[in-house]
Amino acid sequence: MQRQVRYLFWLFVLLFAALIGQLTYLQVWAAPALRTHANNTRAIEQEMRVERGLVVSSDGVLLAGNRHEGAYYFRDYPEASLVSPWLGYSSLRYGRAGVERAYNLELAGESDLQTVRNFLDLIMDRPRRGADLILTLDAGLQRAAVQALGDRRGAVVALDPKTGAILALTSSPRYDPNQLDQDWSKLVADENRPLVDRALTGRYPPGSVFKLVVAAAALQEGTVQPDTRFDDEGSWLVGGFKVRNYGDHAFGEHDFRAAMAQSVNTTFAKVGTELGAATLARYASAFGMGEELPWRLGGGTGSFPDPDGMDTAHVAQASFGQGEVLVTPLEMALITAAIANGGRIMAPYLVAEVRDYRQTILERTEPQVWLAPISADAAATLRDLMVGVVEHGTGTAAAVPGVSVAGKTGTAEVGEGDPHAWFVGFAPANDPQIVVAVVIENAGTGGTVAAPVARAVLEAALR
Amino acid sequence: MNTRNRELLFLLPAMVVTSVGFAIVWTRQMERLDPASLAPGAVFLGLFGLVHVLRRLVVPHADPYLLPITALLSSLGILMIYRIDQQLARQQALWLVVGLVFFALVLVVFRRYRRLADYKYLIGLGGIALLVLTMVAGREVNGARLWIRLGPVGFQPPEFAKLFLVVFFAAYLDDVRELLTVSTRRFLGIALPPLRYLAPLLTLWGLGLLLMIFLKDLGTSLLFFCALLALLYVATGRLLYVVVGLSLFAGGAVVLYHLFPHVQLRVDIWLDPWQDPLGRGYQVVQSLFAFAAGGLFGRGLGGGYLLSASGNTIIPALETDFIFSAIGEELGLVGGVAVILLYLIFVQRGLRIAVRARDDFTRLLATGLTAVFGLQTFLILGGVTKLIPLTGITLPFVSYGGSSIVANFGLLALLLLASDGAAEEREEA
Repeated sequence: MQRQVRYLFWLFVLLFAALIGQLTYLQVWAAPALRTHANNTRAIEQEMRVERGLVVSSDGVLLAGNRHEGAYYFRDYPEASLVSPWLGYSSLRYGRAGVERAYNLELAGESDLQTVRNFLDLIMDRPRRGADLILTLDAGLQRAAVQALGDRRGAVVALDPKTGAILALTSSPRYDPNQLDQDWSKLVADENRPLVDRALTGRYPPGSVFKLVVAAAALQEGTVQPDTRFDDEGSWLVGGFKVRNYGDHAFGEHDFRAAMAQSVNTTFAKVGTELGAATLARYASAFGMGEELPWRLGGGTGSFPDPDGMDTAHVAQASFGQGEVLVTPLEMALITAAIANGGRIMAPYLVAEVRDYRQTILERTEPQVWLAPISADAAATLRDLMVGVVEHGTGTAAAVPGVSVAGKTGTAEVGEGDPHAWFVGFAPANDPQIVVAVVIENAGTGGTVAAPVARAVLEAALR
Repeated sequence: MNTRNRELLFLLPAMVVTSVGFAIVWTRQMERLDPASLAPGAVFLGLFGLVHVLRRLVVPHADPYLLPITALLSSLGILMIYRIDQQLARQQALWLVVGLVFFALVLVVFRRYRRLADYKYLIGLGGIALLVLTMVAGREVNGARLWIRLGPVGFQPPEFAKLFLVVFFAAYLDDVRELLTVSTRRFLGIALPPLRYLAPLLTLWGLGLLLMIFLKDLGTSLLFFCALLALLYVATGRLLYVVVGLSLFAGGAVVLYHLFPHVQLRVDIWLDPWQDPLGRGYQVVQSLFAFAAGGLFGRGLGGGYLLSASGNTIIPALETDFIFSAIGEELGLVGGVAVILLYLIFVQRGLRIAVRARDDFTRLLATGLTAVFGLQTFLILGGVTKLIPLTGITLPFVSYGGSSIVANFGLLALLLLASDGAAEEREEA
């Protein structure tokens, strides 16, 4: 009997050794894979224990802070209307979006740049903290843009054409990121899609603001000069398609300068069809339409139709920004920035600096050229044409007293409802400090609806 | 040093670990240093000190390591439960006191434990009666019918039934083991023991198992089955019983798998919990995540992700069946292995009593009690680590649960009595 008891003991040794083996497998061998498993929400839970980095505007306004509850830090957005939706959210339940997602590694204190600081904190037994983001966004200007747009569906983008720094960025309707977990199901079901950032990813027909690309191509290619003469009878039949001016207005004999100021569709259809589909597509791409933007925040989702499949009628429509031409408000602002900045588009950026909590600068964004679609001469000529739009053309509502403003209106026809109202422009025209792009959905003409919003933003910026 | 003083000495580290552990959790939760944080440790010191004094008087020759191990395990249990839910920890502390009182009662009342063998049939029937009672009056909790209510107190009879049945089998096998080893006839070339001696055994065995199946308590059924197999093997020395038993088990397992959806579910989850990681596999998957989060050294007492923002435990049944997952996360592989080794030492001491016993009843009793204890530990630890399919039973002395704590202190008392009996005869000899 004693022998059997001893055997029984060795059986238990075997069983418990198997337990220790399995435990070692789980806690050492398989642990890395288990920790990063898709169903493992402990990673987010871990990050919620770290004091997340702050997000601060260029003028020092706190846009995203933290609320300490129990062991966790929860995001707190003191200026909800200014940050929604581009800043996004950071939720235990619904994950992250926007800047919160794109810069999560920095904000959570896990980027490579923070390795040394984290190690020092570890050995000094200090709690790890995320890095702060100092934005290029100006809270004062942002407030002006948000107020000017109001509750209308649409977007406003303002940037510095000389650097590419985003100065204002708003999209409406918005949501309150502080209430995200409570409002989630309602926000997802909302047909106005408040979770979508229209400024970065909203794809709109540009209407007449696309004439800037056509004009730039024509001036660059030398097919048109500002005083090139055109004749207009109110409509023009091309490839079986009748091009009409807005309101069927007949402008008679005029030059290209006037065609820009008055946004004459027939003239641009003639200029565009003369350039041809391939040239228009090439310039659209050269201005960044549909190109991946050189930053982490996405966007760049506009598109120009495939030139091989376009007949003359289609090219004519595309020449005034209809017929399946789609742009995002940010893309339209960057196209305008090329004209304001001597033909060169600076890479857009929203985060100026990443700083750790000791205010050591971990990363600073240096302005750099992204695209150079046209020459400085062509840009200067086009700028003068745009000044005419605001001085005595369709965009007079964007005029700011004492400042020379360059701009272009757009009224994009859509399948249902009133047209989308567009305005893009910059000021001062001879030394551009700010580019602004405004789109308001189903709201009427660009000159009456969008231009006043642009003026409010320009005024706030130049004040 | 005599065994009594050795036990006293080994109780000290248990008390130190308890006091420091409570102080850590207390300080983390209150976010301040407080001398009151040392109070729980002091209370434990007092309680186990009292029990130690009683044990010196009643069973002076008993094994000196069992009580300190029990003290360490049960205070670690209360510590983890306290970390999860302070209200539960207070109840568990109360149950610990009840358990220690029960321990003292068993020590005093059954001082002449060999006389238990005289009442073996009564005890065996008592064990079955407990199971029948559960089946008739029990309430279903989490799909298993285990609870009956006695006034305000919930009570799990199967926890006690296992003690009754072990005593019965030890006594019965002591009587008939000679006869079981003598083969009178052969079947298919295999020597068979006389059926009339095997019959009562098989009847009770089958009855117990059947009841457990009706109670849908897989863990306890498996526990009975394996423990009795071990006893049979030790009593007869014949591997044939083990082989036949295991084949019976394999056949039964296949039948159970096809007959009962809840058995099928358990096995399917074990085979692939990732099929439905948010639904059926959730509990096991979260347990694996907890172990992975703990790593080598753990996240520290109070540092684990055990509770969601709403205060519920991330792993369902964390304080009972899955308490080891909490230990694995907060104390790491190092702490987990230490706990497993504590159980192994307990098993070693228990079987040592069996080896040194002078009479067969004591030997079988110690073997049976230790086997039940060790197997229960293996089944639940294997279940939460996905080594074997999960069966819902408690981790002895650590899991939350009054019946479990009290019954296991009964087990400890019987084991100490057996130990004292064995050693006493040695000293007299």
